[in-house]
Amino acid sequence: MGAERRVTYHIIRQKVRYVTLGIGCYSYTLEHQEQVMSDFFRLIMSKMISSLPLQRKVSLTLVLLFAAFIVVSFAVLRTVIAPAFDDLELSAARTDLKRAESAIRADIENLEALSADWAPWDDIFHYVRGENPGFEKSNLFRATLTNLNLDMMAVYGADNTLKWAQVFLDGEEVPLDRLAILDAGHPSFALLTRHHDSVGQTVGFIDTGLGPMIVSSRPIVRSDYSGPIAGAVIMGQFLNESRLLRLQERIEVDMGWEFAAASTSSDDVIQIDAGAAIEIFPGTILSQRVLNDIHGTPYLILRAHTPRDISSLGSQTINAAMTFLVIAGLIVIGFMWFILRGTILRPIEQLTRHIDDIRQSGDLSRQLGMRRGDEIGILAGQFDVMTAEVHDARRSLLDQSFKAGKADTAAEVLHNIRNAMTPMINGLERLRKASDVTDKLRIGEATRQVANPDCPAERKKKFLEYINASFEHVSAVGANAAKELKIVISQARQVEGILANQEKFANVAPVAENIIIDEVLDEAVNIIPKDAEPSVLVTMSDQLHSVRVRAHRIGLLQVMGNLILNAYESIQRSGTSAGQIFLLAVNEIFDDKPMVRVTIRDNGSGFDADVRDRIFRRGFTSKTRGETTGLGLHWCANAVAGMGGRIFAESAGRGQGAEFHVLLPAAQGG
Amino acid sequence: MNNRQDNEFIRVLVADDDEAVLACYCKAFDNDESTCESKALDALAAELFDPATDIEDQPRFDIVACSQGDDAIRVAEAAQEAGEPFDVVILDIRMPPGIDGVEAGSRIRQIDPDVEIVFVTGFSDIPLHELQRRVPPPMKLHYFNKPLSFTQLAVDVATMVRAQ
Repeated sequence: MGAERRVTYHIIRQKVRYVTLGIGCYSYTLEHQEQVMSDFFRLIMSKMISSLPLQRKVSLTLVLLFAAFIVVSFAVLRTVIAPAFDDLELSAARTDLKRAESAIRADIENLEALSADWAPWDDIFHYVRGENPGFEKSNLFRATLTNLNLDMMAVYGADNTLKWAQVFLDGEEVPLDRLAILDAGHPSFALLTRHHDSVGQTVGFIDTGLGPMIVSSRPIVRSDYSGPIAGAVIMGQFLNESRLLRLQERIEVDMGWEFAAASTSSDDVIQIDAGAAIEIFPGTILSQRVLNDIHGTPYLILRAHTPRDISSLGSQTINAAMTFLVIAGLIVIGFMWFILRGTILRPIEQLTRHIDDIRQSGDLSRQLGMRRGDEIGILAGQFDVMTAEVHDARRSLLDQSFKAGKADTAAEVLHNIRNAMTPMINGLERLRKASDVTDKLRIGEATRQVANPDCPAERKKKFLEYINASFEHVSAVGANAAKELKIVISQARQVEGILANQEKFANVAPVAENIIIDEVLDEAVNIIPKDAEPSVLVTMSDQLHSVRVRAHRIGLLQVMGNLILNAYESIQRSGTSAGQIFLLAVNEIFDDKPMVRVTIRDNGSGFDADVRDRIFRRGFTSKTRGETTGLGLHWCANAVAGMGGRIFAESAGRGQGAEFHVLLPAAQGG
Repeated sequence: MNNRQDNEFIRVLVADDDEAVLACYCKAFDNDESTCESKALDALAAELFDPATDIEDQPRFDIVACSQGDDAIRVAEAAQEAGEPFDVVILDIRMPPGIDGVEAGSRIRQIDPDVEIVFVTGFSDIPLHELQRRVPPPMKLHYFNKPLSFTQLAVDVATMVRAQ
C-alpha cells in the first residue's frame, strides 16, 4: 500500500514538474512543488471562473449564497432552536416527576392528617384504656375506612395489644394475619406501635407483604395531648393499581412505581439531584425518584413517563422552518436572479452582443437603441453616440483617404509624366534646332558659286569645304536625330507605361464597407435640382433603412446619383408634368450569394428593346447635344462590377418609363 | 559684385533621380565636339555668305550630374572646399529613395550662401513660400516646372549667373 502510494505520488510529482516546466517554473523540492501545484490549481480555477459568462457567474454566486444560507439556517435551528425544545422537554419531565411526587406526598399528608385527627382524641383514648366500650360500635366499622379512603386501620393499646383493626385490599377484607406489619415480630411493628411522646409519628412507605403501602401512625393521647400514651392509631393505603389510576387521573401524568431492588437503569441517565434522575428514550423521557421506606431504606422508584411531544413538535417546527426558509430562499434568490437578469445581466448581454456584432461585421452604423434611464442605459446610449461618431469619423476618413489617395495618385502621375515628357520635349527641341541649322545651310548657293566660272579658285575651294562640311553636318544631324528619336520613342513608351499602370490601379476595387442603402440614396437624390422643372416626386421605400450593402461608399453614391439623374432627365424628356421616381431595395439570393437589389424606377421616356442591349456600352447616350451629362452608364456598370455587383435595365418601351436594377453584395454580418 | 568673365565656364551642379532627364541636362549644358564643329561651320558660312555677321559667343558650362540629393551635397561641399564653388545648383524636388531636393537645397545653401539654387520639378506639394522659407534668400531661389526646354533653361542659367 505504501509502495503504491509512493508510486502514485511520484507520478503526481512528475506531472507537476511538467506543468511547472510548461509555465516556466521549476522546483526541486516537495514543498516548492506543492506550492506550485496549489498555485496552478488556483490559477486554473481563477481562469475557469473568469472565463465564465457573467450570467453564469451571477447564477453560481446566487446558488452558493442560497446553499450557504440554507446551511447556516439549518445550523442555527439545530444548534439553538432544537436544544431549546430539548431543554423545555426536560423541564416538562422534571415537572411531571415533581407532580407525581407531590401527588403521592399529598396522599401521605392526608393520611398523616387523618391519623393526627384520630390519635389525640379523648374518646379513643378512653376506648383503648377500656373506659369507652361504645366507641368501637359507633366509630370503628368498615364505613369509617371507606369514608376515610383507607385500606387499613389498626388501634393498639398501651401494651401493644391490638384493640381493633381492619384491612381491605381492592375492596375485599383481608384477614389480619396476612398483613405482616401487624405481627409483633415484624421489623416495622415497633415503629408503628411505639411512640415516645404525644406528638411523635411514623409516616411513610412500608412493605406489607400484600404490597407497598403508605402508613401513618400516631400515639393515642387525650385531645389536649396530655399523657399518658394509651396506644397508637395506624392508618394505611395500599399503593395498588386503583390508587395509581386515581393519582394519574388527578395529576394527568403517566406515572408509576416499582421496587427499588427490581429497578435497572442505563448509563444514559441524567442526574437531577440525589435520588432523582432522567433517562431519555426515543419516544419518551423517563424521570424517576427513589422513595425510602419508614426505615430510611430505598424502597420504591417513583417514575413519570413524559412523552417527547415537545421535541417532536420542535422537530416539526424546525422542519417547517427549514421548508419555509428553503422556499423563501428560493423565492428571494429567484426574484434576485430575475431582477439582476432584467436590470443588469440582459442589458449587459445585449450590449456585449451588440459590440461583438459590430466587431464581427465592422458595421458601425448599427445602433443598440436601449431605452433605459439607469447607468447601463446611459452606457448603452453613450456607446451608440460613440459608435455613431466613430462611424461618421470613419466615413469622413475614408472620404478623405479616398480623396487624398486620388490626389496622391494624381500628383505621382503628374510628376512621372512630366519627368518623362522632359527628355521628349528636349529631344524634339534638339531635333527642331538641328533641323533649323540644316535649313539654314546654303548648299545650293555654294554649289552655284562653285559652278560659277567667275568665282576665284581659292573661294571655290572654300565653298567646296563648306559643301563638304555641310554634308558632314547633315549626316551628323541625321545620326543624332535617330538617337533623339529613340529617346523620344522611349520616353513616349514610358508615358504610355505610366498611363497603363494608372489604369491598372484605377481598376483596383476601393475599400468596401457596410452601408445602409438609405443613407446613400438620401444623399444621392440631392443631385436632382431643387428647382427642377417639372417637379419630381421621389418616393423611398420604408425598407431602405434596414437594408445594408457591402460597397464603396463614394463609388456607390456616384452610381446612384448618376442613375437618379438619368431618371430625372428621362422624365424631363418624356414631357410629363407628374414625374415620379421610386427607390426600392430588397435582399435576395443571386447565384447562391446574399445580395441586395436596389431599384430606381421612373415614369420617364423609357427605351426600346434594342436600346437595352446597348445602354451600358461605352459611348452610348440617349441625350441630345447640350444636355447635362454625368459619368455615364458605362462607367456605372464598371463601378458596380468593381464592387462585385451587376447592373441591368428594363423598360416596357418608349414612353413607358424604366427600371434600373443594381445588384450589390449584402453587408457582412447581417 | 560680379567678377566673372563672359568666357568663363559656368559651373552647374544638377541632381535628378531620372537618368533620362540627367542626360537632357548634360546635352543642354554640354560643350562637346559636335557643338564645336557646328560653330566652325557657322563661322565658314559667315565668312562665305555674310562677312558682316558677328558670331555670337555662346555661354560655356561645366556640369556635374548627380542622381541623389546626398550626392549633390557631398559634391557641393567638395567643390567649396576646393575653392571652385558651383554657380548654379539645379535640383529636382522628388528624388526617392534619398532626401528630397528641398532638404538638399537647404543644406547646400548652408555650405554655399552665394550659389543660385534652381528647383525643377514635375510636381511639388510644397508651396513656393515654403521653399523660400527653407532655402533663403528668395532672390537666389528659382523655380521651374517640368516639362521645360533645357536649352532655354541653359540660357536662363547663363543670364542669372551673368546678372550676379
